[in-house]
Order: sequence, then structure tokens, then C-alpha cells
Amino acid sequence: MAVKSKTFIRRAEREDLDAVVTWMEDPDFQLFLYGDPARSPKQIREQIVSMLGRTPENALPRGIYLIIDSAEHGPIGLISLQNVSWRNRACSVDVYIGKKHLRNRTLAGIAFFRAMAYCFDELNLHRVTAYIYAFNAPSWRLIEKAGAVRELTLRDHVVRDGTRYDLYCYGLLRADFNAFREKHRGSAGALMTSMVEEQRHTAGRPANDRPEAGERAG
Amino acid sequence: MITGEFAVIRTAEPQDAETFHSLQDPECPRSAFLDRRREPVLAARDEVREMLTQKEVARGLFYALEDTTGSMRGFCALRELNPEVGYAEVVMMFCQDDDFQSPLADEAFGFLARQAFQRMRLNKVTARCMAHESAFRAFLMRNGFQSDGVQRDVLFAIGKWHNQETLSLFRSDTHFARAEDGAPDKGRCVAE
Repeated sequence: MAVKSKTFIRRAEREDLDAVVTWMEDPDFQLFLYGDPARSPKQIREQIVSMLGRTPENALPRGIYLIIDSAEHGPIGLISLQNVSWRNRACSVDVYIGKKHLRNRTLAGIAFFRAMAYCFDELNLHRVTAYIYAFNAPSWRLIEKAGAVRELTLRDHVVRDGTRYDLYCYGLLRADFNAFREKHRGSAGALMTSMVEEQRHTAGRPANDRPEAGERAG
Repeated sequence: MITGEFAVIRTAEPQDAETFHSLQDPECPRSAFLDRRREPVLAARDEVREMLTQKEVARGLFYALEDTTGSMRGFCALRELNPEVGYAEVVMMFCQDDDFQSPLADEAFGFLARQAFQRMRLNKVTARCMAHESAFRAFLMRNGFQSDGVQRDVLFAIGKWHNQETLSLFRSDTHFARAEDGAPDKGRCVAE
């Protein structure tokens, strides 16, 4: 089964700031990930600016933040790679789909797959860790399908609205992800390859020659 | 300073830097010396001295362990305290792994447990150990910890990948909870 999609990941631009602030102010972001509901929009904006800004040339980035973009829908979410250890070739990942009506399994799966391909194929990482709350079943089912192993169950490890929940820790090794890609070779692989080729084709063209949102490329 | 039958427990001080520094072994990395990215923190002696004046030390959560003759035996600490959820991580290190089987270690842990479950009213404490920290793991299991699982290949050191296990002990599984329920307190107790 090949599902056509125009979803890809990219570095954040200045014009993404408003969208990201909106996502981080959403109670869902704080529910599923983190954040202090008492923070002002100004504080959130300042945090995002520091997150999305460039790392000094003489320093290795500890966190990498990418936008999940779509030619059809525009920026739809955020990928956060944190606790990046270049020594251990590892990081932890958070994926957040900001546009709620797009939180279907296909789009989330594609976004996650692209993020993992970036981690293993571009950053040359060995391991990706994901911490997912037990009540976020769609997320941990998704990551399990990509080959991740639930390595830890931390009981009563997070509080939301005064209630304690378990926290699952998943580990996805390069070998796990490669096995997943091999298993789905011909479907997911072809899809992802086509997405990468379309994005590279688009990126190589002058800015005023790029397709507008919603217009098919190529 | 807390003087028990086997252990003297006191807040770690800058003059303990030499002993603390000697516990750092790149050939045998300890979980206690890994940061959030699981990278070993191999501090110089001056950096250790500075660290021993800050953070958990200043708040009285980092302790030196001596035997009754005054010899330094190791350290213990509660770190990564999360008051909102109610947990902290237990750290214990000895100059000799055999000390994990000694009553000195039991007294030290009893002290940490009282700090966590009685004074701070935490819900649980966690601990992490690398696959080769077998003495520490056996000590944790003997003191009621249960395994939450093992993370694969979290650290690359001495030419290979290392796994790390996380274990937890809940207050409800200790005599501190039973004591509040009115049951007799049958746990170990260190004189204070």
C-alpha cells in the first residue's frame, strides 16, 4: 500500500514562529509533552526563538528542532530532538502534530518515519529514545509499529491534572529501524524516497519558481 | 552528622573531592557519573571541589559516608528531585564494591529512605545501574527495588555499547507506609 503525501521535514524559519507559539500554547501540547500553563505568550516566544536559533559555530547543537511541513497544509507540527549525544550517537525525540484535524495515523506515521530517517540516515545516530505517557496510546502504538521496543515502564512518573500516570520509555536502534524499512520495502520505502526526491527537486529551484502551497510539484 | 552503628553520614564537603575524584573510572563507567545525555562527567579535582559546594550539596542532598574509624567509604545522594510527581533518584557509590554487602550500606540507604519517604514525603525513589554494576544492583534488589526495564545501548564506552537498567522503590512498599497505617514499624533505624 503506498499513500501519496506531500509531507516533509525542514529547518524552522522565522515565519514559523507564530505557528509554533500557537502549538505550544495549546493545552494539548502541555498535556502530551511539557510546558508551564502559567507562562506568558512572550515567554513562550522567547523560548522558541532560543530553541530555533542557530548554534554557535564552535559548539555542537544539543537540541534540533524541525518543522513538519506539507505542500497542501503548510506547517503542521514540530519535531524536537533533544539530549543529543554525539558521543553515544543518541537522542530523545518528541513529535507534535499541531493541526489537530491532521492527527490521523497516516500523517503522524509519515512524520515520524521522516524524523527517524533523518536521525539514522543524516545524523548517523545509533539510538533514538522516546518518552510517551501511557494515556497517549496513539503515539506509543505508532512508535511500536516502527520497530521501537518498550524498554521501561516508569509507574506513577508524570502528573497531569492531579493524577499520576505511567511513562513508557521506548528505544529504537538503527538495526530496529532498518528491519522495519526492510520489512516494508516497496511500500513505505518507495513513498519516502519519492518524498525525498520531490523535496530535493523543490529545494534546488529558485524561490520564485517553487510551487505554491497546494500546487503539485513535478 | 548522623552517627549510626556502622556508618557516619554527613554532608559532602570540598575536602572530599579527592575521594570523589578517585571513583571516576573511564574503564568502568558508573551510572552515578552519567549526565542526562548518558555522557560520563569526568571532572577535574577543582571542578569536583566546586561541585561539592553547590546544588544538592548546598541543599543537603549529597552525603559522604565514613566508617566509624573515620575512613571515607563512599557517597550517597538523592538527585533529580521532582517534588510535583514525588520522586528522586538514589545514588550510592563505594570505593570498594564489597561495601554494598555491608551493614554500612544498609544504614546509608536507610537514611536516604527516611529523607525521601518520611521527610520529603516522596512517592517513590528510582535508581539506575549499568549492566556491570552488579553489586549495586544486588543491593537495590535486596532493599526492595523492582526493575522497570533495561535501556539498550545508551552509552558507548571502552569500545562497546552499554545497557542501563532503571529500578524503583515505592513508598507504599516500605515500612514507612505501613507505619502510617498503624502497623508496627519493623524497619531498620539509624540513631539520629
